[in-house]
Amino acid sequence: MSVFMDLNLIYTGDRTGLRTLLETAAHLGFSTVAINYVFEPTSKKKQVKIVSSVCKHLCLYQGRSRPIRVLNRLTVVMSDSSHFRPNATEYRSFDLLAVQPTTEKLFHAACMLYDVDIICISVSEKLPFFFKRAPVNGAADRGVVFEVSYSAAIRDSTLRRYTIANAINLMESCKGRNVILSSAAEKALELRGPYDVTNLGLLFGLSDGDAKEAVCSTCRSVLLHAETRKTASGIIYTMRSCSDSAGQEGAPGDPEHGGSIIDSQTIKPSLASDD
Amino acid sequence: MKPADQKDESPVYQRVVLKNASPYHYMKVCLVLENESTRLSAVELKQFIITGLKSLYGEVGAALNFDVLKYDADTLTAFLRVYSRGLVKLWSSLTLLGSYQNQACAFRVLQVSPFLLALTGNSRELQLD
Repeated sequence: MSVFMDLNLIYTGDRTGLRTLLETAAHLGFSTVAINYVFEPTSKKKQVKIVSSVCKHLCLYQGRSRPIRVLNRLTVVMSDSSHFRPNATEYRSFDLLAVQPTTEKLFHAACMLYDVDIICISVSEKLPFFFKRAPVNGAADRGVVFEVSYSAAIRDSTLRRYTIANAINLMESCKGRNVILSSAAEKALELRGPYDVTNLGLLFGLSDGDAKEAVCSTCRSVLLHAETRKTASGIIYTMRSCSDSAGQEGAPGDPEHGGSIIDSQTIKPSLASDD
Repeated sequence: MKPADQKDESPVYQRVVLKNASPYHYMKVCLVLENESTRLSAVELKQFIITGLKSLYGEVGAALNFDVLKYDADTLTAFLRVYSRGLVKLWSSLTLLGSYQNQACAFRVLQVSPFLLALTGNSRELQLD
């Protein structure tokens, strides 16, 4: 089973551009994409709002009968430990949570403590810190993955060097496991097909099997990790109702009821937690 | 019915593993440009790919031998042939090529195979209506 996913499509506010981006991703063979809302707490912008009306009329991807699945993702660019507030209410409307640490202390904290799914490795600068085995292994045990984006390598040659350097550094510490490769594409021409991305993984120092996993099965494990993170010990889960134009959440499920409303977006909790 | 004195010989199987059965790899690629009315000739395309190899791998990469076997100028689709050792280099430099004469572009790699005959059929373009 190889469903390819691209979990980083940058949201730029351009609706038609986003639509062409999603169509191109569907043509190229991605079954699931995630629209990434980058949030920098240092800038004065208010909290980001999700575009929900894009979920209608999604095109079918190669050879399948279901349309492409679009998720929402939030990336918090952290330069201080107060920037990421765990259990904040705004984070609940996003399917995936990602963090981009800029210092070594924050990287260590993000790997060991923070409740996120993805840790982004920045590509626009030479990393000021080295990856140590301890936090990287700690993150791997918790199910947190590291993400390398490749579209900067397409745009600019200096960024290309930084991307490859940071990626090779990461692969040496994490030994090729728990890595996902994604574009940080803003336009449709910056997307590349899944096998092209697999080949780029070879360039970054992954083995053949690891490179393919970085585009399909590790991405799927990220989605499952995100779903279990939202289900709060597997008992209470929230659903997103697509019919609502604002894209707000439905009521949380009753713990005694346990699974009365089944939606294709949720997973039924298979085991209750021990505490 | 076999005669009784003939010994039953167990069938002998032989497994043949072809490593590197083909010295070349063939790729079918399509160039997608931002301005869709731009046309390239075959020579310009080869030059463009060589500059891509050079910017990613330097002079050693640019010296990688590859051939443009067939080129369709209307759809900007080409068949490339490269030695199998150089496939990763060529493919990654095609992936990371981003701009042609100041306009954004993308190389869509449609098919890759060690055998040229395999490029004749593409199940992704099957219309199942």
